[in-house]
Amino acid sequence: MPETELSPNPLREGIRLGRTPEPCVMVIFGASGDLTKRKLIPALYYLTREHMLPAGFSVIGCARTPLTNEGFRAEMREAVKKYLNLPDESAAFVQGFGDGLFYIADDFGDPKAYDQLKSLLDRLDQERGTSGNRLFYLSTPPSFFPVIVQHLGASGLAQPKYPGKSWTRIIIEKPFGRDLASARELNRIVTEVFKEEQVYRIDHYLGKETVQNLLVFRFANGIFEPFWNRRYIDHVQIAVAEELGVEGRGSYYEEAGLLRDMIQNHVLQLLCLVAMEPPATFEAAAVRGEKAKVLKSIRPISKERASEFALRGQYIEGTVAGRKVPAYRSERNVSPTSTTETYAALKLNIDNWRWADVPFYLRSGKRLPKRVSEISIQFRRVPHLLFRGAGAENIEPNILSLRIQPDEGISLNFCAKLPGTTMQIRPVRMDFRYGESFGAVPPTAYETLLLDCMLGDATLFNRDDAVELSWELVDPILESWRQDGQKGLAFYPAGSWGPAEADDFIERDGRRWQRL
Amino acid sequence: MASAIEPVLQGNPRAVDVAAIESELSSLWRSAAEDPALKNAVMRACALTLIIYVESEESAQEVGELIADVTRQNPCRAIVMIVEPDADSEGLEAWISAHCHLPTAGEKQVCSEQVTLRARGEAVGNLSSVVLPLTVSGLPVHFWWRAGRFSPPPYFHQILRITSHVIIDSARFPNPPFDLEELRAWIDQSPGAPVVTDLNWARLTPWRSLIAQCFDPPERRSYLSRLTEVRVEFEKESPRVTTQRTQGLLLAGWLASRLNWDFLSHDSLKGTEGDAYIFKAEGRTLEVQLVPQEFKGAGSGVCYSIELWADGLSPAVFSFERGADGKAVQTRATVPGAQPIGRTVRLEVLSEVEILNDELKLGRRDHVYEETLRMVARMTAGRRK
Repeated sequence: MPETELSPNPLREGIRLGRTPEPCVMVIFGASGDLTKRKLIPALYYLTREHMLPAGFSVIGCARTPLTNEGFRAEMREAVKKYLNLPDESAAFVQGFGDGLFYIADDFGDPKAYDQLKSLLDRLDQERGTSGNRLFYLSTPPSFFPVIVQHLGASGLAQPKYPGKSWTRIIIEKPFGRDLASARELNRIVTEVFKEEQVYRIDHYLGKETVQNLLVFRFANGIFEPFWNRRYIDHVQIAVAEELGVEGRGSYYEEAGLLRDMIQNHVLQLLCLVAMEPPATFEAAAVRGEKAKVLKSIRPISKERASEFALRGQYIEGTVAGRKVPAYRSERNVSPTSTTETYAALKLNIDNWRWADVPFYLRSGKRLPKRVSEISIQFRRVPHLLFRGAGAENIEPNILSLRIQPDEGISLNFCAKLPGTTMQIRPVRMDFRYGESFGAVPPTAYETLLLDCMLGDATLFNRDDAVELSWELVDPILESWRQDGQKGLAFYPAGSWGPAEADDFIERDGRRWQRL
Repeated sequence: MASAIEPVLQGNPRAVDVAAIESELSSLWRSAAEDPALKNAVMRACALTLIIYVESEESAQEVGELIADVTRQNPCRAIVMIVEPDADSEGLEAWISAHCHLPTAGEKQVCSEQVTLRARGEAVGNLSSVVLPLTVSGLPVHFWWRAGRFSPPPYFHQILRITSHVIIDSARFPNPPFDLEELRAWIDQSPGAPVVTDLNWARLTPWRSLIAQCFDPPERRSYLSRLTEVRVEFEKESPRVTTQRTQGLLLAGWLASRLNWDFLSHDSLKGTEGDAYIFKAEGRTLEVQLVPQEFKGAGSGVCYSIELWADGLSPAVFSFERGADGKAVQTRATVPGAQPIGRTVRLEVLSEVEILNDELKLGRRDHVYEETLRMVARMTAGRRK
């Protein structure tokens, strides 16, 4: 990601250990939740360990659970041990990391809690040299976002403590709204208190190495861009498959469904990266501008025609990885007559010169056979097949696959001649895998994103208009499904690749789903 | 049935004719692909050519073990040159081997090649003619001088012409003031010289980063222009004492060049076995002390402490001290009007392979290092023998 300008510290020049943000405090609202323990604190620990965070970096956890500083520190040290595999870690270092963690019990709606927070922030500026820089992270259920933002505004915490010298930023977890109206309302509330440049709407998919590598792949290599268009590409498939079910989050999922949970954010963001025009510079404004243009170019789907372009499914009982699993409707806190989708497939058309007539097929689902996220770019078949009788008639067209997870990498399928005296052709696959080629463990998405936010680099975060544009696209589909109720909901056994209707959905266009 | 070539794939060298090295390597991979015992489970990978200069067979064996680790992160064709110009007999011999790794269970082994060449007597002059055709076309060439003073003889001129990156380790320099100056002169000799990386400088990078971070907050920046004393303590009576003395010189040279200090003089540091280097900056005098000390800890790392003192109406002190377990450093910043800020930072002693792997990926010209060398040259001008 592009270097953000650092203060002109003459000792910094030439130090290649990475970018270090200015000293700051990160305030996590909802710190007793799962995300903090599983992702945020381990990411911050790892960044500290690798010297990416400055001296004095501090964390304040805010949640309704009553805890002391020591109690919070003990929990977070345990989380580090549990979620990071570092068997020989120096005890002194783990202890030292914990010393930078603080806690405030906060019911989010009490102004006194924000006064307390303000005092603690001022004290940390003095004691730990955090220089007035604050990062607020909203990791609470979305219903708390408005009240927290409003209180940050009312208490003065939303404004930089030293205007022109210090900064204040806010990271907001997804989901950002549950439909277009609520997303607009949330944007309105947030931007009444914070300027847009202070707001970082996080989508952790954008922090994944392979997602970032997609931009490098497209724009650092001269050979791909000339055929990255309708002349050579037949269609694009984007698949995000999970083998997990709702894992006890039935109440959340009943309100969300797969379209809101995955497609409106992660999958559409992947589509933007594949379809966007090269930005003029590699800065946040330019990159995000090009992504927004893609969203504006997607042909809208009306409520009335939603069933032509979107399909939904729900898993029934089945077997995943050798284990029997129950149906969605039998999961905890899920209605036995639920019509919430756990699978969705969409066909989108991008109406611009680059992509006209190149359909983008998106699919995502829970309780599929394995966890895999992959972008498959299928090229057009050769215009004239020279090698008849050589086994070429059944050869698949060239496919460029970008695997986001697991086992990140890029592969290209192409045809080669079998050694021998006759002309026999078979498909082969050329692979690049991150793990093999670089041998180093890439940073996690949260490590990348948290560091970027502290550095003020918004390239990998969502802009307000992009969020609203993506809701604008899916809203009619959601409304259509809501009105249809049970009608059109296809069922699939857990452990299968989705409903049979999904195969018909793509095969009617003379194509088929890429085998993952 | 065991494969006949498996020992070679496990790093055991096979002697080959010097004139047929490339065809022997091709034959090795063909055999690997066809050998039923291997079940088609190997894949050759190469991202660069790594030429390694050593001066003895023992060093070559050491390097062979290191290359096995290097190729995990930097798959390459490694060409180890054992150069013995003073040997009693004359001759040029070659061996091939490979280093294979299994990245993930069930996947193919990823293998890198190694060619070992031993040149004795006048045959050392023929090495370039053997090495040049072995470099993999289209990929960068890295030259790792794994010996003492960096003084490539004229017969390596052709190899260095195609080299984009030279790697040395000033920790091996027998006479740091002299050898660092030689290196500086070599780098400055022509604008087209390859990029030079010093592994010893890379060992200092985490320390430099810690020191730089200390002055990141804008309110601390002014202390840089008020520094009056820097003290670097390193382990006394250690096999690594040369490493640390060189590192001390580099650290001092780095600070002086970054902060535009003018070198004035050198003196022995009274009451110690250390040295004091006197600088002038913005009307004040600074002293940088490099002091060997007893190391009382039991850790695996070297004892290292750095203190920077800033004078003025209210003095400030910034200190960095390695902990007893050798894996962490305690940093402390005491500035007027604020509570002292301390933290424990992980700072493990990196192995040679770890540093080399990072540098193979980076390989960019480091102007800060070159300026540091020039400053060290000025500091040690009166002490070079």
